[in-house]
Amino acid sequence: MQYTWKIGGEAGFGIMTTGLLFAKIASRSGYHTYDFVEYPSLIRGGHNAYDVTFGDEQVTTIKPTIDILICLNKETFDLHKNKMSKEGLVIFDPDQFTPEGESIAIAVHFQKILKEMNGQVIMKNIVALGASLALCGADLSELVAILGQQFGKKGESIIALNRAFAEKGFEEIQTSYKQYIRPLLQKRESDKQIVLTGNEAFAYGAVGADCRFYAAYPMTPSSGVLTALAGWSAKTGMVVRHSEDEIAVINSALGASFAGVRSAVGTSGGGFALMVEAVSMSGITELPLVVFISQRPGPATGMPTWTEQGDLLFSVHAGHGEFEKIVLAPGDHQEMIEMTPYAFDLADTYQLPVIVLSDMLLSESHATVSYPEVKKFMEGYTPRRGKLITKADATYKRYALSDDGISPRLVPGQEGVYYQANSYEHLEDGHTTESDVVRVQQVEKRAKKWQTYLRNDFLTPKIYGDIKKVQTILVGWGSTKGVALETLKQAKAQGKDSAYIHFSSLYPLHVQKITELFSGILEKCILVENNATSQFGKLLRMETGVNIEKKIVRFDGRPLVVDQLLKTI
Amino acid sequence: MATVQDFTGYKPTWCPGCGNWGIGMGIKMALAELSYSPSSTMVSFGIGCSGNMNDFLNAYAMHGLHGRAIATAIGMKLANHQMPVLAVVGDGDCYGEGGNHFLHACRGNHDVKVIIHDNNVYGLTTGQVSPMAEKGQKSKSTPQGIIETPLDPLALAITQGASFVAQTFAGDTKHMVETIKKALQHSGFSVVNVLQPCVTFNKKNTYQYYMKHVYKLDASHDASDKMKALQVAFGIQEERFALGVLYETNREAYHTLAVQNKDVSLLNQAPFSGVVSLAEEFI
Repeated sequence: MQYTWKIGGEAGFGIMTTGLLFAKIASRSGYHTYDFVEYPSLIRGGHNAYDVTFGDEQVTTIKPTIDILICLNKETFDLHKNKMSKEGLVIFDPDQFTPEGESIAIAVHFQKILKEMNGQVIMKNIVALGASLALCGADLSELVAILGQQFGKKGESIIALNRAFAEKGFEEIQTSYKQYIRPLLQKRESDKQIVLTGNEAFAYGAVGADCRFYAAYPMTPSSGVLTALAGWSAKTGMVVRHSEDEIAVINSALGASFAGVRSAVGTSGGGFALMVEAVSMSGITELPLVVFISQRPGPATGMPTWTEQGDLLFSVHAGHGEFEKIVLAPGDHQEMIEMTPYAFDLADTYQLPVIVLSDMLLSESHATVSYPEVKKFMEGYTPRRGKLITKADATYKRYALSDDGISPRLVPGQEGVYYQANSYEHLEDGHTTESDVVRVQQVEKRAKKWQTYLRNDFLTPKIYGDIKKVQTILVGWGSTKGVALETLKQAKAQGKDSAYIHFSSLYPLHVQKITELFSGILEKCILVENNATSQFGKLLRMETGVNIEKKIVRFDGRPLVVDQLLKTI
Repeated sequence: MATVQDFTGYKPTWCPGCGNWGIGMGIKMALAELSYSPSSTMVSFGIGCSGNMNDFLNAYAMHGLHGRAIATAIGMKLANHQMPVLAVVGDGDCYGEGGNHFLHACRGNHDVKVIIHDNNVYGLTTGQVSPMAEKGQKSKSTPQGIIETPLDPLALAITQGASFVAQTFAGDTKHMVETIKKALQHSGFSVVNVLQPCVTFNKKNTYQYYMKHVYKLDASHDASDKMKALQVAFGIQEERFALGVLYETNREAYHTLAVQNKDVSLLNQAPFSGVVSLAEEFI
């Protein structure tokens, strides 16, 4: 079973921290979680809300109906009352308002408690957590343990204070609402789990990949990567640089890549627009670079704190001239952890830019991932740096023609040798040329890298369900994986089998593999995309001729939900 | 030991008499005299007549994008701070297209030696005005004369935090070599503005013009005096161009604070081994 707990209140009063605390407590109690934050593009005022869906099986998307709603103000109730599940619980402060309607009203005297205990407004959250844990049949031990880790020995008084407020909320439920306590978060055995966002998953994957240079200019919803990597830099030794603008970001990353270290940049659509000229340079200079893009609704400033898959075709086509790049889109948090080192491997192996596409939903939602699996993955990972060499003789040619299109790339500094990485078209040794013959040779050499990649590294789409037998096949990419998989599960529960084809290697596409995959099943396919113009459908048609006519799109800034997809099955 | 010849690449395609020839020679001589070799030096070239030096100067080099050479150089330096990093750029390149990078590189005091070929025009695109052009200068893009006044790069660099600010003249090889050598020996962001006649597109700022309008700073100039340095820099407004080191100060270069182990380049540091335990903070 899955349940959704939601807390809402005025922005700037600790909603985010509280939501994450609830998710971590659920995870430590042995449950899987997926969360989603709603917040406006401002720091104070406005409405913040945090959903956590939790359950005893993997949770891949938010369950939109709310089982427990914490209203830190009346607005929260007004905005979300229509999403309450049958017998959903509404926690409110009777000194503020009284909820009308069919939901079960649970009065918790937030303001009175604050007054009596002389607490700051922010402590309401802790009271709410205490009450929530009581209603879910949990105790306060995990909360106290997490606070203990956060504040350490020096923070004993802070921990004691928090505990006192949590106990107040807990007691109010125990005293007055015992009949509504259900064992939703009773401790159960499970793998140890981590709870992290897609941004943190990328950052973590980058550390695991031995990325040594990360540059960025803050931009929602990608900034979490910069924050995480900067926070770790004293430990990891990574140079994490917040540059003056996105143009500096990407050009400095290419300079670092030239000098031989794994480099990455991160941004959202608008920042990437500024980087595009240098993406093209990465193409012709054949310098490896990983570009993380967390999409948000555009155009221009758009809706900064909401989600969309609107920059796929922009990413695919980014850069003037014709050159090779690879576009990947991890579907969930675990894929993000594992695909990020893979992106660095591809960048090094094929000496080109690799774009890792995320979106606000994946970037800012936390989800539980099995810690033993992450551990196993990282312990088994060794960077694959392709034809990077540290020794060469005077005959060395940086852009030597080769069968697979890849030329040995010498780390600068080798005595007796030198070469240039040239953004002009160049001879094999790197010098500028306008020769028609050499131009053709170099264009063809670079193009071969794609063929080599498609042969050796293209990830064929993952298939969930039996595409030959079912009547409906959803087709998606990136973060739509979560909602698609939950749809399959719920359809099955209703006795209807369906399948899902998930793309994570988006560009270039392997024409033969893709056309074979869709042969004979096209009529049953429905594209699922979080954008207005079904961009992946266009890409698929353009690159492979596969034309999926049925589509479900959503472009109001919100993620797709199961109900929208379930209707089609 | 490397010689000027070792640094010499392809035959330059610059116009006969162009100031670039002198600057190219000045850079090579300075590098050779300080015992650098093409294998021990990294250079980031911008785009323009100046950037075309990429094929004429041997080094580990990137010929990058117009305006972005400083940004690229910063990445090179941070990744391998044990090699000297030069940025060879033009005035349009560095002060126009790349102005933001110039400004912030001054603030950051990145250990990059920027050699600016300052000829007041965009030579490679046939002579449009650069941000250094004198007010009223006519060109293909400003047939009625440029409305803006010229940038004051030396004053800008001094006020924004560059720790080495100098000017030299493409017609005085000896002075140029000495100045570039001083820049190479300085740790921190080093600006060397080189006054450079463009014999094809700039009929005003000729060798003769500069002979008349330059003067050398003598021993009485105190390069540690920021206000005095600014006064000297402002001379540009009266067409008086000081040659020499206007300003020099000791300030920690960016990489000394950003790269964890100063003795080992980022490139050669041991990989981080704590990735598994790093995940524990997410539990």
